[in-house]
Amino acid sequence: MKEKIQKINDYEWLLPKGAREKMNVDAKIFANKNILDDIEDDAVQQLTNVACLPGVVEPVIGLPDMHFGYGLPMGAVSAFDSENGIISAGLCGFDINCGINSIRTNLNYDEVKEKLNELIPALFNAVPCGVGSKGKLRLNYDELNEVMTHGLNWAVENGYGTKKDIENTEEKGCMPDADTSKVSELAKKRGLPQLGTLGAGNHFLEIQKVSDIYDKEFAKKHGIVDKDQVMIMLHCGSRGLGHQIASDYLKIHEKAVRKYNIWIPDRQLACAPVNSPEGQDYYSAMKCAVNYSFTNRLVMTQWIRETFEKIFKKSWEDMDMHTVYAICHNIVKLEEIKGKKYYVHRKGATRAFPNLPVIVAGTMGTASYICKGTETALDKTFGSSCHGSGRAMSRNAALKKFRGEQVNEELKVKGIVGKASNWKSFAEEAPECYKDVEQVVDSVDKAGISPKVVRIQPMGVLKG
Amino acid sequence: MEKYKFIEDLTSDVLFEAYGKDLKQLFENSAAALSSVVCDIEKVEKQKSFSVELHSESVEDLMINWLQEIIALVDIEEIFLSGFEISEIDEKHLKANLYGEPISPEKAGVVVKGVTYYKLKVEKTKDSLKATVSLDI
Repeated sequence: MKEKIQKINDYEWLLPKGAREKMNVDAKIFANKNILDDIEDDAVQQLTNVACLPGVVEPVIGLPDMHFGYGLPMGAVSAFDSENGIISAGLCGFDINCGINSIRTNLNYDEVKEKLNELIPALFNAVPCGVGSKGKLRLNYDELNEVMTHGLNWAVENGYGTKKDIENTEEKGCMPDADTSKVSELAKKRGLPQLGTLGAGNHFLEIQKVSDIYDKEFAKKHGIVDKDQVMIMLHCGSRGLGHQIASDYLKIHEKAVRKYNIWIPDRQLACAPVNSPEGQDYYSAMKCAVNYSFTNRLVMTQWIRETFEKIFKKSWEDMDMHTVYAICHNIVKLEEIKGKKYYVHRKGATRAFPNLPVIVAGTMGTASYICKGTETALDKTFGSSCHGSGRAMSRNAALKKFRGEQVNEELKVKGIVGKASNWKSFAEEAPECYKDVEQVVDSVDKAGISPKVVRIQPMGVLKG
Repeated sequence: MEKYKFIEDLTSDVLFEAYGKDLKQLFENSAAALSSVVCDIEKVEKQKSFSVELHSESVEDLMINWLQEIIALVDIEEIFLSGFEISEIDEKHLKANLYGEPISPEKAGVVVKGVTYYKLKVEKTKDSLKATVSLDI
């Protein structure tokens, strides 16, 4: 399939609609040549599969963190006509509103480094990590419904975070019209014990320091002013609640495909017409998971603040521990872009609207970035950019190649303190399993869809 | 006969093949494959039991529902599972008892977020049955 790619410029590549049969629109990949060369042929094929879906709007987008996935590539964006398109539980994925909160501090590298060996275990106790840890909160059904309906408004009313956090969260921390009656009993049961838990896999909590500032004005607007300033990054999602909502509606959309006679090239791309009950019920239920996930991250953010208070003997407000920005990775949203409304599906992708932060996570041994959304992104990528560095090696291969303890030793050499609920996840998430984040971010920077603002390096990392 | 094996196919997720001489064994081995991702299945003791009964429209849907039931049980009961005994099974229905112990960091693997339709297949091979299943991690 890759032989059909045509160069538009050094950072944009066209997969014309004739690349495979039944494509309704072109696809485009945003990547520099190095990154493009390493993208799997099968991932490119998967991008063309998405371009076959009904009502898809040109072009289907592949971002530089793009890699082969189940049914569709991670690092992909597809927009669908708001009247004649589809909504797809499969295209959004299982971890609805998996996303990142970036939190700043006014502490500097030296003062945090000194306490890092105390801080990391304290954070590990404060934030339940991994499949083997129990959550500290136990919601009842009324509270869960409130969380799913009101998102961060519930969090702030209940002492987790402040209105400033709401201001700096995508969708202001609550998608309206979330309908809890569209969420199954099983999904709710899974959501009750898990609010305020990190999960596992690629989810993490990282203590970082600013290494470079490229756009001083934009960085300052978000409270980032100094090299060596300490930052915090939290990556996780909607946990079992979101996983179950996705699983439930994947089945419903599988049936909808037959009911509405929709042709799909892969069963995982199951979907329903936007204005069908199956499409809108999913959208209402998905919003419940989105709001739960926003709340999950802010609850943990507050526990992180309280842990810093204990270690550094100052209030979190005195340490200026405010949310820089909180963004979503896996989500469907009805967005108005350049006067037209689309159901934008971002799968392993970030919103990149003009002058709003874009957060790109590296690996536990490499840099992360804060970038800035642009008009160019609205013009070219439905206001989207990459979400991370993108996996390059399978988990199975990683387990054969690396040992968790050895990965941790290598982090130590770089001055990074690591802690995991089990070492297996360190092996699976070894930095070498991912693409070079510098090349990935170079691609979105030079393509003009999200120029670099700040580069951040890891100091300490917790994995589930 | 080999019970299951993991295939290097998905970059960020997990794909396995499970085998069995009949549906009962195939489904029990598929459950073991899934559970071995979630926990250290060799060390998890059979302290608690849970019963499951499922109806589905096809054998592949039954496989998805069966594995999703196990994923949900881990969250709801906060349990790691290591024993899977199917007492009744046909292509659209199964009844089983599951055994395990409370979750703990020491025996933890990773979270399985979902069972996907990607490459999903339950098929007859020469002298046995084979299931191909991919999991979102």
